[in-house]
Amino acid sequence: MKNPFRNKTRSALSIIGIAIGLATIVALGLITGGMQESVQTTLNSGGAEITVTEANSQGGFGSSGRLNESFVEILANISGVSSTAGVLSTTVQSSSDSQGRGDGFGSMRGLSVNGIDRGKLSLVGIKNVNGTLFKEDSNEIILGKNAAESQNKTIGDTITIANTEFKITGIFETGNMMSDSGAYTSLKQLQNVTNSDYVNYILVKTIENTNSSSISNNIEKKYPDELSTITAEEQAEMINSAIDILNIASLAISALAIVIGGIGIINTMIMAVYERTKEIGVLKAVGWKSKRILGMILGETLVLTLVSGIVGTIFGIVICEVGMMLLGDSSSFSLAYNLSTFLRAFGVAILVGIIGGIYPAYRASKLAPTEALRYE
Amino acid sequence: MDMKISNDEPFIKISNLVKNYDNGTIKALNGINLEIARGDFISIIGPSGSGKSTLLNMLGALDNPNSGTIQIDGINLEKNQDLSEFRSKKVGFVFQLHNLIPNLTVFENVQIPLIGTGVSENEIEKKAKNLLESVGLKNKLNQKPTKLSGGERQRVAIARALVNNPSIILADEPTGSLDSKTGDVILDMLKKIHDENNVTLIVVTHEPYIANMADRTIKIRDGEIIEDCLNN
Repeated sequence: MKNPFRNKTRSALSIIGIAIGLATIVALGLITGGMQESVQTTLNSGGAEITVTEANSQGGFGSSGRLNESFVEILANISGVSSTAGVLSTTVQSSSDSQGRGDGFGSMRGLSVNGIDRGKLSLVGIKNVNGTLFKEDSNEIILGKNAAESQNKTIGDTITIANTEFKITGIFETGNMMSDSGAYTSLKQLQNVTNSDYVNYILVKTIENTNSSSISNNIEKKYPDELSTITAEEQAEMINSAIDILNIASLAISALAIVIGGIGIINTMIMAVYERTKEIGVLKAVGWKSKRILGMILGETLVLTLVSGIVGTIFGIVICEVGMMLLGDSSSFSLAYNLSTFLRAFGVAILVGIIGGIYPAYRASKLAPTEALRYE
Repeated sequence: MDMKISNDEPFIKISNLVKNYDNGTIKALNGINLEIARGDFISIIGPSGSGKSTLLNMLGALDNPNSGTIQIDGINLEKNQDLSEFRSKKVGFVFQLHNLIPNLTVFENVQIPLIGTGVSENEIEKKAKNLLESVGLKNKLNQKPTKLSGGERQRVAIARALVNNPSIILADEPTGSLDSKTGDVILDMLKKIHDENNVTLIVVTHEPYIANMADRTIKIRDGEIIEDCLNN
């Protein structure tokens, strides 16, 4: 066990080399895992399957378009649709609250406030609220868990929207990072305070076991100039394609880590074998089999790469956590600690160890004892 | 491994042994024939380059001959076979420069030959401890070899050579790097081991007075035996 660390500088350098590659793998794993979890929660939230926006409006998620509220009723009557909800979205710059609990640093953070009918909250995946729901006819609001943390607000505090104070009555958690970073209030009240008579988008929930994409197509066919639709699956696909790109990057980095780390390890171990030629001669002279010497050098290489695995994993986690801290609580994003991420990093470490160790180990095992003993 | 054991055979039998280096331009051993009885103390003497160390390496199965045969304790040391087991079970080496592993302790160095041979860890440690005690290094178990004197290092090497209960000890200039007083202590130690354990001891040297301590001296020059005499 002591052998791999005999030349401390050389070992440390090769450990760092491999660890950087592994840290990147871990970091990308944590990030893509976080994204995937969120997508999964969105798909499983039981919320609306289809989002309807104004045709040709900018932005796939349609908060900029304006839709006549009458469409909420019209769409509800389409066959296969179980319920619909109009949503008005606005972003408020919240300032430090009246009780002085703002931290100054983050006192101006954007909060997405959405107006929706109180009875339709299930369409955005909100099932349970800690506290009580907002009432339709009063200035009350509920906050997502992440939003509450980032805004430093709790039940009983107020949020100012268009110069009107809204009282926080409940905190909810859906598991979807987008929803949990927002706030929901009554559509009517939000329209009143912002002087709007429209909604930005309409959420459509379909009857169970119906094909949401065919309903989505129907809506678009029926109102080609007015409405545009996107299904939850399509949204998930968009996010998934982004995740795929990150996964490919992660794979490419894994491959690079194997190649670069492998070459570094080969170099380190060849030097170590070279320096210990005489020692290997002695081991052969006292009866050690070639296989045993091969195993010894390979084992030492694996110790080095496993240490790299540990260092890289810690490094990757630290980078991500520091990154998250810098982004602040307001980020609608969380890291996912999946076993598979760490298994992949350690798998790469072991692969690098085997690839990098096999040649030096083979060379050591094939040394002729008399020549090795003569070596100075 | 060929294990023909016959009481009529000598312990070591070397026939027409030839070893060349550099594609035959250097003839290190040129047709050696030699028989050695079990438990003999043999010295091999000759000037440098005479082939004495090459012969010792052949006896220890560290090197293969170009032609000829070596049989030790009924075992034919044939080319292309794994002779590590033979070295592990039958041979103890003592080198001129002790060849201890610098980052291992004295105690660990002595244990090396038995590691992975199936002997239990407890037994290995017990043996190593006893041997180090018998060579007077009981209080240096956890020292690194670099902290020891030349004589002490050679004593560790002797303990290492004995740990596998070898039937043959091969010593290549064991006092070559020591002053004469320390050298004598090492020689006495080797002789005592030979006397007490009925081990066949073969010492390569270029010092006539060391050669004369053996029961029998073999003189080598240019890869050939030029004299083979019994000492009184």
